[in-house]
Amino acid sequence: MLTRVAAGGLLLSSLWIAGCSDDTPAAPSAPYDEAQARQVVNHYGELALAAYSDALAEAQQLQVAIEALLAAPSNDTLSAAREAWRAARVPYMQTEVFRFGNRVVDEWEGQVNAWPLDEGLIDYVDDSYQAVMGNPGARANIIASESLTIGEEARDLSNLDGELLASLNELGGSEVNVATGYHAIEFLLWGQDLNGTDAGAGERPATDFATDASATGGHNERRRDYLRAVTDLLIQDLEFMVAQWQPDAENYRAELEADAVKNGLRKMLFGMGSLSLGELAGERMKVALAAHSPEDEHDCFSDNTHFSHFYNGKGIRNVYLGEYRRVNGETLSGPSLSDLVAANDAAVDSQLKQELAASEAALQGLVDNAANGLHFDQLIAPGNAAGAAVINGAIEALVVQTGGIEKAALVLDIQALNPDTADHQF
Amino acid sequence: MRVMVMALLTVLLSACSNPRQEVTVQLANQLLLPAHEQWHGSNGALRVSAEGFCADELDQAAVEQAFYRTLQSWSYLQPLMLGPLAEGNRSWQVQFWPDKRNLVAHQVEALLDSHSPLTREALEGASVVVQGLTAFEYVLFDKAVDLAGQRPRYCPLLIGIARHQQALSAEVLALWEGPEGMASRLGDFPNDRYASADEALGSILRTQITAVDVLKKKLGVPMGRLNKGVVQPWQAEAWRSRHSIGNLQSSLSGARAVWERVRSLVGDAGLVTRIDAAYENTGQKLAGLPAPLVEMVQDKASLPRLQALYESLDNLETLQQVELARDLGIQIGFNANDGD
Repeated sequence: MLTRVAAGGLLLSSLWIAGCSDDTPAAPSAPYDEAQARQVVNHYGELALAAYSDALAEAQQLQVAIEALLAAPSNDTLSAAREAWRAARVPYMQTEVFRFGNRVVDEWEGQVNAWPLDEGLIDYVDDSYQAVMGNPGARANIIASESLTIGEEARDLSNLDGELLASLNELGGSEVNVATGYHAIEFLLWGQDLNGTDAGAGERPATDFATDASATGGHNERRRDYLRAVTDLLIQDLEFMVAQWQPDAENYRAELEADAVKNGLRKMLFGMGSLSLGELAGERMKVALAAHSPEDEHDCFSDNTHFSHFYNGKGIRNVYLGEYRRVNGETLSGPSLSDLVAANDAAVDSQLKQELAASEAALQGLVDNAANGLHFDQLIAPGNAAGAAVINGAIEALVVQTGGIEKAALVLDIQALNPDTADHQF
Repeated sequence: MRVMVMALLTVLLSACSNPRQEVTVQLANQLLLPAHEQWHGSNGALRVSAEGFCADELDQAAVEQAFYRTLQSWSYLQPLMLGPLAEGNRSWQVQFWPDKRNLVAHQVEALLDSHSPLTREALEGASVVVQGLTAFEYVLFDKAVDLAGQRPRYCPLLIGIARHQQALSAEVLALWEGPEGMASRLGDFPNDRYASADEALGSILRTQITAVDVLKKKLGVPMGRLNKGVVQPWQAEAWRSRHSIGNLQSSLSGARAVWERVRSLVGDAGLVTRIDAAYENTGQKLAGLPAPLVEMVQDKASLPRLQALYESLDNLETLQQVELARDLGIQIGFNANDGD
């Protein structure tokens, strides 16, 4: 096996050779034991299976709570349903690290967790509502409408089932037309957050689901049907994804495990880095902070964003360490990327572990602020320098960590990280 | 083993004059730094034009010309935007794109409603959306803005943005110049940013390759490539000033200028020819577009030409991101678009 110094030296020397000679350097052998690396990829499948299974189980609990809400709408049953939604996000957000790189997840994800959304597509909205320019569905209000005409196409909306709602996603080509998934359910349970960057989340009354004289909101039977259908669909979608990660089946996991082991490692690293930099640090934090835009907050109706971000970060760490703490408290652990990297370059491994711990601590800062009554949408308020510092600290920790992921990839001789473009190469 | 490798390295190092370091120094001094200076100069001219317009000494056309020039120098700079300007939220202060929710109109009007006249403190404390060229363009070109009739309302913002941009580019330039500046970090190794010329060159190339990826996005988003083919004209960059294609041309020129200096390092002569041809082909397709992008995407007959341009950019990206990176032994790391 190569030592750390030798591996670094080989890499460096290949760069110099390319720089001053036309000779092609001999391809070095893989800097890891093939069988061990295969176990790492297999264990990655185990982690995905456990996390998606937990997400499914929690979504089923959410469905129970929603049925109780619909059976007897009250502040208590609405609170319980909201609590179940928050709990369902804990495992789901830890699965997002599997999204980038694994096409089966990325293509499926839009129906499950698309955001931000023009919520006027789904239900009534306040006059202050700001939709995306040129979105023909921005005020479609599916709940209040038995039919919908966009362009030349007329749609029958009389029967609100999962299939119909799924077909309304990206209506008119606009990606903010999101009719299904966690955020559609979130909007139905909380309603719009009309507090801007001040304290407070959405305040939809439980009576929006009532059918007696107390009913508010209008079209309550359809709102009830919508909530039921969209929750059902979420469960079906999660069942599909759990099946994709079962062992010894004809599914995505079988393809992943049959592929070259280097491609598996590449997908693991690409998922970690893409979520860390472009998605979590960029789309989910920097855009909202720099523009002071609560519309660009991830869980903007419920103000649960701090936990969503925290568990996104946890997911990145899970993949590197080969660990996942299940909802029931058990910890799954096994062969990890960390083991492979450490065997070649203990310093790079230890550095990345420190960076992962530092980003977790920085994201914990968001959670702590929320516990003290300062939620993400208040931290991004204009003039809140202390709030901006908390978020910038988390962004910076994720940027640094992404550099560490790149270094770990180099230790494993992975130069092209994007599996889509890498397909052309290897 | 270790001793052998180190000995081999020493031989290689002494046998090689290190053309990579030479190219990196050239890039820094002949391309990157001058492009930052040019951008700074255009911001100064933008400020003079805004002040002149608001003092009734210049007409609106003069401000528009100055704005186009600033857009051009900013677009040229993007593939060269290494170091200070790429850090913190500095580049976000220059331009806010994409702006799907029309935040620029909402935030500009809300800011001017609550601060009349607008003060410097209010602008500095506001979001990046109102501090940059996107807001400047909104005031100058949006049909909803009655600039001629409402100068007292909008002039403090135009002047404020131009001053903010000039101060920003002065700050960035100061971080490039001097013995501790970015330019010297690209000439003397190792330093606190780069362990070697290779690392620095890799970083320059990553910036340039990412910028070509962004060009695809700037074209593909209004074409509706992320929206089931439904065109999104109002998501084009600089749609209000109808300058989207000019921006793409300037950015392509900046990217090509990097390539021109890197070309000599590439071992595969066939690859050099193909990348040269890809730049030529993309540049010709861009130059041949007859109308502003915001109009072309809404005209079905124009879509095949845009599609051909997109494919040409895609080919250029693949050649650089995959083949060039492999030829030079450079890791293409993560970029901000990977989450899309």
